[in-house]
Amino acid sequence: MNLRLVRGRTADVLFYAGIAAVVALLLKEALTNPGHWSLFFQLAVDGVTLGSVYALIAIGYSMVYGILKLLNFAHGDVYMVGAFIGYGILTLFGGAANWTIPVWLLVALMFGASMLGSGFLGVVIERFAYRPLRDAPRLAPLISALGVSFFLQNSALLLLGAQFRAYPFGLIGQGGVSIRTVFISATRIFVIAGAVVLMIVLTVFVRRSRLGKAMRATSYDREAAMMMGIDADRVIASTFFIGSALAGAAGVMFGLVFTEIFHFMGFTAGLKGFTAAVVGGIGSIPGAMLGGLLIGLGEAYATGYVSSTYQDLIVFSILIFVILVRPSGLLGTAAVQKV
Amino acid sequence: MKRRSALVAALVAMVAAVVAVVATSATAKSSAPAAASSASRSLVSCKRGATIGLAAPITGPAASLGQPQRRWARFFVTRWNAKHKKFKITMTEGDTQLPNVAEATKVAQSFASNSKILGVVGPAGSQEVVATTPILKGAGLAYVSGSATRTTLTDGSRSGFFFRVVPPDAVQGPTVARFIVNKLKKKNVLIIDDQETYSTGLAADAEGTLKNLGATVSRDSVSQQASDFSALISRIPGSVQVVYIPWQLPPKAQLFAQQMREQGKRQILLSSDGTFDPTTYKPAQEAYASNFPVSAKSPLIASYKRSHGGQPDFFGAPTYAAAQTVATAVAKACANGSASRAEVRANIRKSNIPPAASVIGLRIKFTARGDLNGGRFGLFKVTNGNYTPVG
Repeated sequence: MNLRLVRGRTADVLFYAGIAAVVALLLKEALTNPGHWSLFFQLAVDGVTLGSVYALIAIGYSMVYGILKLLNFAHGDVYMVGAFIGYGILTLFGGAANWTIPVWLLVALMFGASMLGSGFLGVVIERFAYRPLRDAPRLAPLISALGVSFFLQNSALLLLGAQFRAYPFGLIGQGGVSIRTVFISATRIFVIAGAVVLMIVLTVFVRRSRLGKAMRATSYDREAAMMMGIDADRVIASTFFIGSALAGAAGVMFGLVFTEIFHFMGFTAGLKGFTAAVVGGIGSIPGAMLGGLLIGLGEAYATGYVSSTYQDLIVFSILIFVILVRPSGLLGTAAVQKV
Repeated sequence: MKRRSALVAALVAMVAAVVAVVATSATAKSSAPAAASSASRSLVSCKRGATIGLAAPITGPAASLGQPQRRWARFFVTRWNAKHKKFKITMTEGDTQLPNVAEATKVAQSFASNSKILGVVGPAGSQEVVATTPILKGAGLAYVSGSATRTTLTDGSRSGFFFRVVPPDAVQGPTVARFIVNKLKKKNVLIIDDQETYSTGLAADAEGTLKNLGATVSRDSVSQQASDFSALISRIPGSVQVVYIPWQLPPKAQLFAQQMREQGKRQILLSSDGTFDPTTYKPAQEAYASNFPVSAKSPLIASYKRSHGGQPDFFGAPTYAAAQTVATAVAKACANGSASRAEVRANIRKSNIPPAASVIGLRIKFTARGDLNGGRFGLFKVTNGNYTPVG
């Protein structure tokens, strides 16, 4: 038995022991008092809603990293722009209180415009901020990404002002579903379902379509892919478009559930999305989805059972734990480097 | 012989040089306070107008607080200049990027070294006041804040330099606590702060008084950046009667109220002056907010709303009062065609602006330590965006 195997097994044992301990603690808390079940499930609903938004953001981080090995720190700000595009459409059709077209059409337009606008923004960012630095040392595009992030934040501040903008509360519907004492609003159901649909579509697209296969090939070995006739520039631009479009959709979803949007909202969400991508295994799309859900649930249970004061402490402790025992993330694969 | 005299001359020259250096540095050391006091006393020509500084978080995470402050300060300058054709005020703006106090000190340094600036409006945050005090005080500048409420800022160490047109936390917190226990007759309170200095200070002051009045108090906190409060709301026990949120951002308070309603929580919601914004904070449940005795229907606020797309930006209103205080003192000091920072400080100390002319609904007159004389808070019942005074 070699040393690496022992380390791998020890890490696995530690990892599963950690998960078992967390689940046991949650179950103990829920079983101590039958009334606590409602809190347990209510927190699950809250966590899955937030986790869906994080997952959509995390996918963009993961896709770009998978193909370029670049941490696109401007991604959170693309999400912010998406939320504002959705708000712009809302304003265009009468504003938060008096929209002039059917709600289903309004929401469809908000999502459509936001995804297209954010996707296009992602392509522009790639073309002007990252492509010229593709062969530069890895630190250069990272700095460029930070610069783009500040540029987008301050442009939004300059153009739209610092005040919060509000999506209407309960745009999708004021009602919801009550299961005993657990209430799930129509908006939350819509957001969770919408996120799941987008993730399924993306998974099918990446696995089945020609472009999806080209993306996977480019991610695996860009030079070899190019030698096989794949247009790497086009594939990379498409990756940015898809990742950014999903971030735009996440921005609108956030607006629908949490209503308030502002120029700095991309910073925290981007950080959480990035954390989700790392927890899930950066570069892995299913990993990003899983990571997003785990971070969302972690936040909800940390707030519900410990204190919201320590919410971020707990979430980032999860990140440290996962990285220590699984450096490549939950569903990531260790990179093999030829020496 | 020649060589010896040359050596002696060189030696004498060296000793002279050393003595000169030592003497110069000693003079520099002894003149440091003198430089500050001379900056304080040096006269600036201001026959037709003068310059004041505005230190506010115009960009960064707290831009939503700094922007309304800037708008209200600019609104004041526009009104002043329209009214005083022969003595115009020019405002130099500095972006403090709260909570990054390093930026606030840079702004303070630029104001201190700009000899045209006779007084400063701001800084906004209590931590910024602490960080910039050595610089502003050293340059002899008076600084009047429209939002720094930490009680200890007026402990005497900044007397004559720092003033504020908002009452301290030590006034607001206990006022709210007495209202909960004596007027609402509730004794089980959950206080949720937003982890910022303003909020934690108020929460601590309210908690202390509530406990003294025999109430049961529990505490929690949320990040000012958070938007999802649903998990926190889920765990609020039914035994809690009042939820007190002394937050700075009205949209976040509105979000909290909406999410409470979504989960069917029926506790009374109480908030602070930071959330006093009828256009944004309009909870559907029973709610109250504390604030200066400002009237939402005052002509000044109506005029501001008309020129700012209907937004009252209540959080920034005290900055108008701060600018008014500084400009009035500067104009008085410039009556003879020139003024010093020391004169402006002395005039601010003697300010006496009647309630009718002050947007905060209080007379602007300061104690020796820089607090508003008789500064107090009122309680307003919030019903669908209508704020009615109740105590």
